[in-house]
Amino acid sequence: MDISLFAQILVWGLYAGCIYILLAIGLNLIFGVMKVVNFAHGELLMLGAYAAFWLYAYSRLNPYLVLPLAMLLIALLGLSMERLGFRPIMGTGKLNEIFLSLGFMYLFQNLVAYLWSTNSRSVRSPYSSISIPLGAIKLPLDYLIIIIITVVFLIAFQLFMKQTNLGRAMRATSQNREAAALMGVNVERMDMLSFALGSALAASAGGLWLISGQLVDPYVGAIPAIKAFAVIIIGGLGSIPGAIIAGLTLGIAENLVPLLMRFFMELFGISMSFTAWKDTIAFFILIIVLVLRPTGIFGEQGE
Amino acid sequence: MRYTTLVSVLVIASLLLAGCVEHPEEPEVGSGELKIGVVASLTGSASATGTDMWQSAVLAAEEINAKGGVVVNGVPMTITLVQGDDESSPKAGVEAVTKLITEDKVDLLVGGFSSGVTSADSVVAAEHKVPFIITGASSPVLTHRTDIDTSYFFHHCPTTDDYGERTTIFVNEIIKPEIYARFNFPEDRPLRMALLYQDSAYGIGVHDATTKTIETYNLNIEIVAAEKFKMGETDYRTPLTVIKATEPDVIYPVAFLNEQTLIVTQGRKDVGLDSIYLSVECNDDPDYYTGVERWGEYSIQESRFGPYAIPAGPIESAVETFRDDFTARWGAPPSMMGASTYEGVYIAAEAVKNAGTVDKAAVRDALAEIEMSQMVEAMQGGVITFTQDYRESKFDLYMQQLFWDDSVGETRPKIVWPNSVKETDFVLPDWYEPGST
Repeated sequence: MDISLFAQILVWGLYAGCIYILLAIGLNLIFGVMKVVNFAHGELLMLGAYAAFWLYAYSRLNPYLVLPLAMLLIALLGLSMERLGFRPIMGTGKLNEIFLSLGFMYLFQNLVAYLWSTNSRSVRSPYSSISIPLGAIKLPLDYLIIIIITVVFLIAFQLFMKQTNLGRAMRATSQNREAAALMGVNVERMDMLSFALGSALAASAGGLWLISGQLVDPYVGAIPAIKAFAVIIIGGLGSIPGAIIAGLTLGIAENLVPLLMRFFMELFGISMSFTAWKDTIAFFILIIVLVLRPTGIFGEQGE
Repeated sequence: MRYTTLVSVLVIASLLLAGCVEHPEEPEVGSGELKIGVVASLTGSASATGTDMWQSAVLAAEEINAKGGVVVNGVPMTITLVQGDDESSPKAGVEAVTKLITEDKVDLLVGGFSSGVTSADSVVAAEHKVPFIITGASSPVLTHRTDIDTSYFFHHCPTTDDYGERTTIFVNEIIKPEIYARFNFPEDRPLRMALLYQDSAYGIGVHDATTKTIETYNLNIEIVAAEKFKMGETDYRTPLTVIKATEPDVIYPVAFLNEQTLIVTQGRKDVGLDSIYLSVECNDDPDYYTGVERWGEYSIQESRFGPYAIPAGPIESAVETFRDDFTARWGAPPSMMGASTYEGVYIAAEAVKNAGTVDKAAVRDALAEIEMSQMVEAMQGGVITFTQDYRESKFDLYMQQLFWDDSVGETRPKIVWPNSVKETDFVLPDWYEPGST
């Protein structure tokens, strides 16, 4: 196998993994603290991308600069979802939470289609034509920036969770809600914070996805959301390190495995394309992990 | 209870908004009524195209009704259109067509976008023996299949066989000589073509048509890569990187609009695959020119109706009139699926008029015998008629190349082939890199 081909595809996998990680961590945070599975999380990615698009369209600023504001807007939206939607139904049964999140999913899709049509939107990064040569491969500058931003977000997130009182309170709520409440933690505030933070991370995934050259339309959140669910199940429900490792694994595997399968088949004289098998590979990994370790790589019994 | 109220409000709001997305007004119902079911993706991923098809059908119906409707045995009938939203999915398509036939009692069907969806919902039309003029789905399988009775299906849309063949011949006749002349390639060197196609009836159809054309015409073209992708895919960097490693001279993506935009953008911007990108006709759409930006410059499109280029000749003024009327009615220009759906309603009206009845078998027979002058899309022989074997109408397809237009800040197409409608010569860009020598 040509090593430069391998390395280049590894870079594409790394980029995909970054988007999955940002989306999955937000999903995992909400699940960890509130034990709510938010099926509308992909729509928060979509809305984050739209927020970045409109902020960029009106300001004409560097799209990376509008990203924090887009994240803030979607964080406020997440806060509203928690207050007006999930808060009233907490503890009334998982089915209610599932249908509520599905309701949000369709509501956001149709609202966006109604307001801004189903036409695709895109932004142009000022760095879109710049590539950095790394040996035999070329790394587009935007991808390097996205990888760096993801790493910065992850470090900031870890510091927040480990070094601040709020972060410790969120972790305590995640580990044992009743005990945390008895120790004086305002668990409802932790719910709000986790939803806002999770939504902001989804918005960052959407914004970066858009800046990397992707097109956004009202239905674009569905596939990344499914991948994010796969990531948190593989990594272990509620586990942040699990989401990071699983996100990277999934991103790299779904890009690299088709290539390896192709080379393997060529050994037997069979020429075949496996690039359409990306989703199959992702869910094959999911099945293997569930069979070998039903709680996921970093999941705990009873999660 | 509070949460029950909230969930109810959310569900009702979702349904209301779903209803708000696309419900243009319908023409008024007359006394004698010809009910045409328009099968289109009014919601879901293909809703931009589906909406355009519906709007084109409405325009055609309004024009016909304004001229007195469809006169059948001296009695005027008003066309009433009924929406059948396939929601861009086979399951919803089956439900929509079932409703159109069993509840709305339509006399015939027009529309159908996406071969996968139409392949599923046309089964219902076959079971009920309802004439179906298919104007948006391109797989020839729709009228070739033998597991159902397809004798009521009439394909008014170029098939994947048509444009796969036309594009491959263009590559051989026009692109190949330019590349070989610039790089002094020997004539016996095969042109290296890479295919990146959607894993669907549409993509596989073009792939097969391309390989079949190479064989049939004994062309010196080698398929050096054939990579598939799943419909709706957004990340093409890996297959494009694999394709780049095979050193192709031209790349033929077989993709829908959003897919094609990303393939060309990611191919040139991220992967550095500076080649000639070919494209299937459904991408001749304003959104494509906006989305692909400068990366689409010098790429090639096969087309039959587009928002910008108009082939010179007998249909030129009809195209302009249709485009102006559509824009005045709906605020934006029509797409090619809209054009064939617009013609589809006229074909339906003409068939009913010729049949002298709305009896479905008689309408089918009238469709089989129809001969109408071409309207807004150039037809072979200048006539809309259906082949005897598979009931396909035959279009005069042309190839166009995209050139940057500073005045609009986007690329714009110019027709480069065939010579009868050519606006300018094909240009091989300076940055073009051929495959291996």
